[in-house]
Amino acid sequence: MNAIEIRGLSKSFRGLYALDGLNMTVPVGAIYGFIGENGSGKSTTEKLICGHLVPDKGKIRLFGKSYKDAGVRARVGALIENTGCFPDSSVRDNLMMQAINLGLSDRAGEINRVLKIVRMEDHAKLKFKKCSLGMKQRIGIAMALLGDPALLILDEPINGLDAEGMKMMREILVEITHQYGCTVLISSHILGELEKIATHYGIIRQGRMLEELTARELEGHAKVFTSLKTANMQGAFGLLRQKFPDVRAEDGYIRIYDFDDTEFIVGLLMRNSFPVSEIRKNKIGLEEYYIELMSMKGDAKT
Amino acid sequence: MTAAHELKFESPGFFKRIKGMLGVDFYRLFHTPMFYIFIAIAAIIPAMIVSMTGTAGADGAAVQPMYQNAWNIVAADSPLYVISDIGEYANMNMVFIFGGIMVSIFIGHDYQCGYVKQLFTTHAKKRDYMISKSLTGAFSMACMCVTYLIGGIVGGMFAGLSFKVNVGSLVFAILGKMVMSLGWASLYAFLNVIFRRYFGISVASCFFIGTGIPVIGAAAVIGNNSLLNVFLYGSSVYACLGSNIVTLGVCAVVSAAWAVIYNLLGSVLLSRCDVY
Repeated sequence: MNAIEIRGLSKSFRGLYALDGLNMTVPVGAIYGFIGENGSGKSTTEKLICGHLVPDKGKIRLFGKSYKDAGVRARVGALIENTGCFPDSSVRDNLMMQAINLGLSDRAGEINRVLKIVRMEDHAKLKFKKCSLGMKQRIGIAMALLGDPALLILDEPINGLDAEGMKMMREILVEITHQYGCTVLISSHILGELEKIATHYGIIRQGRMLEELTARELEGHAKVFTSLKTANMQGAFGLLRQKFPDVRAEDGYIRIYDFDDTEFIVGLLMRNSFPVSEIRKNKIGLEEYYIELMSMKGDAKT
Repeated sequence: MTAAHELKFESPGFFKRIKGMLGVDFYRLFHTPMFYIFIAIAAIIPAMIVSMTGTAGADGAAVQPMYQNAWNIVAADSPLYVISDIGEYANMNMVFIFGGIMVSIFIGHDYQCGYVKQLFTTHAKKRDYMISKSLTGAFSMACMCVTYLIGGIVGGMFAGLSFKVNVGSLVFAILGKMVMSLGWASLYAFLNVIFRRYFGISVASCFFIGTGIPVIGAAAVIGNNSLLNVFLYGSSVYACLGSNIVTLGVCAVVSAAWAVIYNLLGSVLLSRCDVY
């Protein structure tokens, strides 16, 4: 069973399509990294799943049921754009209201539990408007965690945070995703952070799904390469082009793809009087893969 | 923690959902100052109107009191269809203006801070939202009717006005106006759903409708039309100091009709439109 199954989903705003026949599949238990440029349709998709927007056409199913099913909706938690808290109410009051709405029996216990997860147990009495951005994001996650959610939807939870806030948020996300055990749909521009927790990826562009792949498949796509610098870059580049099939001059470095035996490369260049000043092994990660995919699709389109 | 792995989806029934939604609204009502401010305003305004219009002017000359009978601050002597004197209008119907502004602020905050997103992400239905806001607004206005009554009595005592009245009719008039709170709250909830993206317009529209300006305008054009009076404005002004059980019945029927119509319209609108 899939936690989220979307088929042919379209949504337009004043005639402009934000989503154009989107297909998406998120398996149960997945931590799904939802990636795309600004305005690609990530937030629109999340808002449609949460029932905030009305689709023009297409189907959304959550855990095999209609996304409007009250039973399924009762177990969806979301943090989209802002936390949706009342600024003049305390953190605890805001959580209490959501706990009442969800009909939770042990409200105080549940609120303490989620406050502990987001490291906010000492700030429960603080008015929401007095909280910092990082605290507000954590409160938003606490709101989403109330009531034993089976699906968590987090829209850019790391954006705008300082280094310390980002570190804390990453720790919280890792804790939630690894220990809590629910399906998580998380969109973020900070791909390096996403790579540490995601099990599945969906890459969206201009309202359409470009590619969906698992972390293992991404690993399979991941190319290794060696970057190096020499005093005579042009001569070394010519030599290496003769020996290896995929050699590129990129960002002031010579890059040899699918080959990471640095000793062999250094030996070869030394024997041909090209002393190496800098060399290192690299691996294409999510960020590089995403950029490459975007440029390929962009080229194909033009 | 382990419960999160279980994939059981029990659909909460209507009563469980509405209980949750009403719980949130009443929690908010009693935990924020707005409700207390409005019930205080509802008490102060009639006390000021009654006592100040009966006092002497700056030059020492006696001012003609607005009312001879203290209960006119609650209701007019006879049903007011076409208002000829603002003094006759300044009665418990003012609660519906205060209530309109309160409902606007209450719903406006939901949208301004994005709380509706939290509600609609979970099991809450659009219909539940309309019902809950209407009931919360009706409760608030009914409470304002009570404090308005207290304020009016205190003001009347200070002004030394007559308290002569048919108690039965007075009770029916007050109950009639309290019952109409549901209809008015539903209308205001509907207006706020229409103008949900524009807080200022929501408040202005509720004030405009609550003061009866459209009805007065319509009445000025059409004249004293009973259908217009009953379905647009009549019921709350129908509850006068000559009220009886039939008056209360009419108020109840009109209030229920308004509540059903505006809740249905509001639910359909919310279901077919984006939340924001």
